[in-house]
Amino acid sequence: MPTSTRRPRAPIRYAPLWTRAFHSFNLLVILLMAASGLQIYNANPVFGGRGGATVPELFTLGGWLAGGRDWHFGVMGLYAANLGVWIGLLIRQRHQRLAALADVGTLRASNNTPKRRLAAHRLVYTLMLIVLGFSLITGMAMYKPAQFWWLVGPFSFAEAAGHDSWQVLRVCHLATIPAIALLLGAHVVLSWRVGGLRLWRSMAV
Amino acid sequence: MAHPADPLSRRRSLGLLLGAAPTLLLGGCALNGVSEAVGAATQPLNERLEALLQGKGKLPEFRPSQVDPAALLINSFNGTPEFTPGSYRLAVSGLVSRPLNLDLAALAALPQQQCVIRHVCVEGWSAIVAWSGPRLADVVALAGLSPLAGYVFIESADQYYESWDLASALHPQTLLATHMNGAPLPAANGAPVRLATPIKLGYKLSKWVTSLKLMATLGDRRGYWEDQGYEWFAGL
Repeated sequence: MPTSTRRPRAPIRYAPLWTRAFHSFNLLVILLMAASGLQIYNANPVFGGRGGATVPELFTLGGWLAGGRDWHFGVMGLYAANLGVWIGLLIRQRHQRLAALADVGTLRASNNTPKRRLAAHRLVYTLMLIVLGFSLITGMAMYKPAQFWWLVGPFSFAEAAGHDSWQVLRVCHLATIPAIALLLGAHVVLSWRVGGLRLWRSMAV
Repeated sequence: MAHPADPLSRRRSLGLLLGAAPTLLLGGCALNGVSEAVGAATQPLNERLEALLQGKGKLPEFRPSQVDPAALLINSFNGTPEFTPGSYRLAVSGLVSRPLNLDLAALAALPQQQCVIRHVCVEGWSAIVAWSGPRLADVVALAGLSPLAGYVFIESADQYYESWDLASALHPQTLLATHMNGAPLPAANGAPVRLATPIKLGYKLSKWVTSLKLMATLGDRRGYWEDQGYEWFAGL
């Protein structure tokens, strides 16, 4: 309950500059990658092929297939480098902030709401990093399927069921967009519930 | 409780976020015009890395049982050209010691190779196809390759044109295919002679090939689709 005498607020504890920089740049780059990826999708929809439904132009970037590819393959190096260095630094220096099995235990056993939210939020943002890493792996496999044939191999698991590894890769790569969109929604809501505006400002550049 | 002095109250910041979203989408449309500049800035490095990544050796192939004829779609920028039977000649010219005009019997006399590979279209679909015919490297060797040559300019009967780096053209799985899936090449797929390789996107794989010209440098005409904005190296 609000009281008449406000406690003086502690100063915001900003996340390290590198965390904020990687975080913001990642947001920018995944928007470009997703929009240009949907432009590429429209050249031959993963679902339905040439007759398939296309994504509204509003969500695409590039104007046509070659423009979409210009963006997608122009930005992919920055996206990969940012994500790779960021995850590397997180594991080295801030691994205690990444989700652990204990967080799953908290969600199962604890009745302490703030603690549960914190655990759920850690799981959500850690999962986001994993999904982004998966988008890189599936993307590399489709960018150079002949040279990286060993990367395509694991996606031939559904061949017995009549699903070619290429189609499996396309579905997996596309699925990272709705997955990230859902996780992003959860990330925004949970970070708000956990730390409110102060937490958001601590991550702003 | 919102603090009046706080310039970024909960309500305000949410409003700002909602207001910013359409700006982002509108910005996306404006960014379409920048695509070409983004490509021009990043493709040279990408293409160099692609060339470094591409080995000279053979890549693994698929089993013949994995061939899926229905998956191979037909693309052509200008319909299907017609050939008078027996009139076909493949010209090999440019930086070669013996310019050639090969008929189909001469191509059939060269060692034949089958490659079961994945044909990948830039649009996003792919198909596993068994191509067979002579290696492009053998045809070039027959003409006597000059050490000055660095590129191959490829012309087709339908006016389609392409250019390749020499290393990709001489790759052991780059074929001048005359057969597809064990039968003579159908007209729509490029009969009598088309390019086939596991290491390039489909738009590099000219159909109805009539001329190979060995060049020292790339000209202004780098390829029908490349000249409209597609990447030139297009490695897989």
